[in-house]
Amino acid sequence: MTGYVIGVDVGGTFTDVVGIAPGGATTLAKAASTPGDQSEGVLAGIARLAETLGVTTADLLRQTDRIVHGTTVATNALLEKKGARVAMLTTEGHRDVLEMREGLKPERYNLRMPPPEPLVPRERRLPVRERLRDDGRVQTALDPASLAAAVDAAKAAGAESVAICFLHAWRDPAHEDAAAEAVRQAIPGIFVTTSAEVLPQIKEFERFSTTAVNAYVGPLVSRYLGKLGGRLTAAGFTGPLFVILSHGGVAPVEEASRLAVGTALSGPAGGVAAAVALARAGVAQDLVTFDMGGTSTDIAMVEGGAAALGRGRSVGGERIALESLDIVTLGAGGGSIGHLGAGGTLQVGPRSAGAVPGPAAYGAGGTEPTVTDANLALGYLDPARFLGGRRTLDLGAANTALAELGKKLGLTPEATAAGMLRIANARMADGIRVATVRRGVDPRGFALLSFGGAAGLHATGVAREIGITRVLVPFFAAGLSAWGMLHTDLRYEVSRSVLDAGAMKSEDALRAPFDTLEAAARARMAGWWQGEVAIQRRADMRYGEQVFEIDVPLDEVGWDQDGLATRVTEAFEARHRALFTYDLPGEEAVLVNARLAAVGRLPELSSGSRRDTGADQPGATRSIILDGTAKSVPLHDFATLPAGQVIQGPAIVESDTTTVLLLEGDTATMRNDGILDIEIKE
Amino acid sequence: MPDPVTLAVLQARFTAIVEEMGEALLRTAYSQILNASRDFSIALCDAEARLVAQADHLPVHVGAMPYAVKAVAEAFAGDTHPGDIFLVNDPQHGGSHLPDLTIIMPVFDDGGTLRFWSVVRAHQSDIGGATHGAYNPSATEIWQEGIRIPPIRLGQGGVVRPDLLTMLAANTRLPRDFRGDMLASVGAARLGEKRLQEAFSRHGAAEVSEAAIAILDLAEAEARRIVEAWEDGSWSSEVLLDDDGRGNQDIAIRATVTKQGSAITVDLTKSDPQVASFVNSSYANMRSAVAIGFAYLLDPDTPKNDGVFRLLEVIAREGTIVWAAEGAPVTLSTNHCAQEILEAVVRALGQSCPDRAMAAWGKRFRIAITGRDPRRDRPFVWHLFHARPGGGASPAGDGWACAGEWQAAGGIKFGSVEMAEARFPLFFEKHELRPGSGGEGKFRGGDGGELRLHVETDAPTRGNTAGEGARYGATGLAGGADGLPHHYVLKRADGSERVLLTKETGIVIGPGEVLEVKSGGGGGWGPPEQRDPEATARDRRAGVVA
Repeated sequence: MTGYVIGVDVGGTFTDVVGIAPGGATTLAKAASTPGDQSEGVLAGIARLAETLGVTTADLLRQTDRIVHGTTVATNALLEKKGARVAMLTTEGHRDVLEMREGLKPERYNLRMPPPEPLVPRERRLPVRERLRDDGRVQTALDPASLAAAVDAAKAAGAESVAICFLHAWRDPAHEDAAAEAVRQAIPGIFVTTSAEVLPQIKEFERFSTTAVNAYVGPLVSRYLGKLGGRLTAAGFTGPLFVILSHGGVAPVEEASRLAVGTALSGPAGGVAAAVALARAGVAQDLVTFDMGGTSTDIAMVEGGAAALGRGRSVGGERIALESLDIVTLGAGGGSIGHLGAGGTLQVGPRSAGAVPGPAAYGAGGTEPTVTDANLALGYLDPARFLGGRRTLDLGAANTALAELGKKLGLTPEATAAGMLRIANARMADGIRVATVRRGVDPRGFALLSFGGAAGLHATGVAREIGITRVLVPFFAAGLSAWGMLHTDLRYEVSRSVLDAGAMKSEDALRAPFDTLEAAARARMAGWWQGEVAIQRRADMRYGEQVFEIDVPLDEVGWDQDGLATRVTEAFEARHRALFTYDLPGEEAVLVNARLAAVGRLPELSSGSRRDTGADQPGATRSIILDGTAKSVPLHDFATLPAGQVIQGPAIVESDTTTVLLLEGDTATMRNDGILDIEIKE
Repeated sequence: MPDPVTLAVLQARFTAIVEEMGEALLRTAYSQILNASRDFSIALCDAEARLVAQADHLPVHVGAMPYAVKAVAEAFAGDTHPGDIFLVNDPQHGGSHLPDLTIIMPVFDDGGTLRFWSVVRAHQSDIGGATHGAYNPSATEIWQEGIRIPPIRLGQGGVVRPDLLTMLAANTRLPRDFRGDMLASVGAARLGEKRLQEAFSRHGAAEVSEAAIAILDLAEAEARRIVEAWEDGSWSSEVLLDDDGRGNQDIAIRATVTKQGSAITVDLTKSDPQVASFVNSSYANMRSAVAIGFAYLLDPDTPKNDGVFRLLEVIAREGTIVWAAEGAPVTLSTNHCAQEILEAVVRALGQSCPDRAMAAWGKRFRIAITGRDPRRDRPFVWHLFHARPGGGASPAGDGWACAGEWQAAGGIKFGSVEMAEARFPLFFEKHELRPGSGGEGKFRGGDGGELRLHVETDAPTRGNTAGEGARYGATGLAGGADGLPHHYVLKRADGSERVLLTKETGIVIGPGEVLEVKSGGGGGWGPPEQRDPEATARDRRAGVVA
């Protein structure tokens, strides 16, 4: 590595920018997020990083090898229903696939649940006369007149984006491609996406839904990334810009724009990547990530050093069948507002003050108390040191807001603040149970990896709620997602259905689809990356008459040796036994989907190490309110805390970007890798 | 009693176990009806056969499964051992109807104490009897519906007896599917056993049992708190079946529901006498239908377990349509009259809590087609799950389009059209919403579906129908209109049309003939003139109303 690498994570409230210098020195800068155009906040964050490093933005960017970016543009569009106006061209006679949802409705015992608005309303699902058979034969040729009519209708409806979803298109994309071409001709510059390109797999609902989401978020994501790239270039950056995708790997901007649906979980993916990197470094094998930001909190699980993945993901109620990290998002964070609920009880969130107006203490017009205001009122936050002193918090404003709410409840401002924090912590604890226990894992054996600006004040309380005994707070907690993005690999995932009876009968027939995928993946990767590429293969397989497939990893089967089909069958049967307790030897094994990932290992980054100075840092003190009583507790500076120092709670450990609250019974040890390792005892 | 954290962990653990079992069954089952359409359910019962946890599958199975467990526990009292695999389907022994085969495994702790039962109920494509596809509209006795299996020990030490399995499979038309499904069910039940035993070693078996008891008591308390807020009183309702397929129409299910405090009595004794066809209900199925009618009026997240159902007292008379005497055919009952029983409960008890009661959902009208698949040169049985009927509207909003029948409430999936075309000699020319089929109202019932299906065989195939709702659509509530009834037509090669009745056998479908299915919509809720004009404008743009 010759220059800097920069990771940028755009959150609901703050944009975090982490820069790692060639020697491993790591610097974090934060700027307010700019929801209208996220790229403004990104540039502001980079400027702040340059300022901290004592160079100009242009100098910093000229010395930067790569920038990795996590964006919430797609996620927000789905959650806020603010995506593009999509038209769907679809096989005549099958225009309602998206709305019929396979006949399924979630929440079996919730019969007073109105149906969701389809992402593409019926009047914009436009039939085209064409039809393939299941084996790819043409039943009805693509009818030019009906295609022209559909394209005209899309244009007339003011479509900003077009999804082309034809039955059996994964077998042969010719009709979809021709329709896409017709759309491009008729509406120059419009975002067009086809189902065979997004997810070339059998089962139309999953394919169509994923494609519709791609069309819905695609224009926004590509416009945004284009704008960001332009700004970075203008500011002096000449290296590659990568985007972290939902599966935790990174890809260049062109890929993230083409497959924008793959960025739906880009924002929180960085934190999980960080947890995986820390697990690889031996910090802990089993981790629960607890990423608490201003508006929301993301929770994920890393077990045995690997992140949990899934394919049945929905974002904003929309099915996305691409592989992605399994992340649970709660609508509660530092900006969550405390208010009187319907039943007359104190509630926290889901409403958030966001970045604007922000907490009452920002003095920017917020009058309702937020979690941040509560932390301030109890003395946990230093009003003069918030964001390294760049923003002063107004304690009086926080207290006024808390008093206003407390009056309705008959509580003092302090009691209101303490109540809000208790409720917020209980909600976080429930979220962690959802992410772990429901997957059949008891979280109490896991370490809680606490990061995001607000997590340090809550982690020890949340851990107690659950019975977790170890909490880890990295020094760069406030920018760990941005740091994690810099420690994950380039990844390109491809898959396609195979479903040919002969595939398991001959070695060549078995290798062929994987070889095709590998060639495509290598070609794609070659455009991004000149280094070595590792190939990982998997297959979705089932027995002859089953409908559902299981995921069979094929990295251990000895791909290049003879007898491949037998070994693949054995791998499938072993997996079947492991998952379902039995197998059916002698029954026909069918390979339904071939899956392949091309992985480009980015260069390892060196990490800085904290020195053991041999002398403990003396603690200053701060007066805080704990369990209703004012106490003077030791106050330590996170930045200069020497390795090996042990701190007993109650205490506060503080840096410019994060504050850690240690409670009675907590023992924190400063590790030389910059992580505060906290043991929780009841 | 376990501490609150352990209790929370174990409650979620039980749910995780049944979900994992369900996932395992879904992914390993052989027959289309099971794996593509999810017609199965999973439960864990405690040692007293009380329902502790169930996966979110088919409501109509859930209240019934404890009766099957009780039947097994009684039949093998003192003779139950670790690794035993029991099987039952007989309605006289806790079963609902013959196609639902229930695998039941006892779960013991290390000390040899029976702690739980792991239960897997899966619907079979074929169960023998006089016609293919398990639903025999012409059956006048249960022996014409298939093979009866009172509680038997299918295997020991976790291993199925191959001779017994072969004997059972030999009594069905699709022995390969049957064997695959049975082994998948056993695999799922064993997974439940394994996961529970892991919980025993982590938390202690006694603690896990105590947690189960606490979970039931907490659920009961929650249900009582909800019900106490409803108005006290007594209400009656009458719901009609189209017919029995033998020329008798308007068969009535009558309920009188009395609610006092948190106690609810459902009296079904005034229902019509049993009939000589498969719309009769078995006892377990009737109990389940009452339980789900009640459950639908509770909060969505109230656990649905034995604790909640303690509020219900059910009075019924053997020999009526809701509880047929031994020997009567009952196969259709998990759909109909289960849906009519649950509707009777919702219409009567709903008057105690009108802001919770919803309009009726569409009814089941199935068709099973059998013939020879020319591409694979082997026989097939295909069951119609496409063109699902619409869901009922509620005080909270419109009904869901194509969400299926009330007793499944959106839990039955229609498989992928692409996959169905790849696996069966079928061509789906059209499969879309059926505009205008949902009942009008302040909130519209969900639309049903429309299907044009070509059966592409060399030789004629045969179809059986089984269902309801071709005369009466799903009823509206609080001034909402009924949904349209079903209308199924066979378009003959010569251009003529034949309307299909809901209870027919041996319909010959020749090569090149087309089945045109129009399924019913859900009932509307509230007066149509109160509908938000913007919602009406949206319906018009979408082309779902005229």
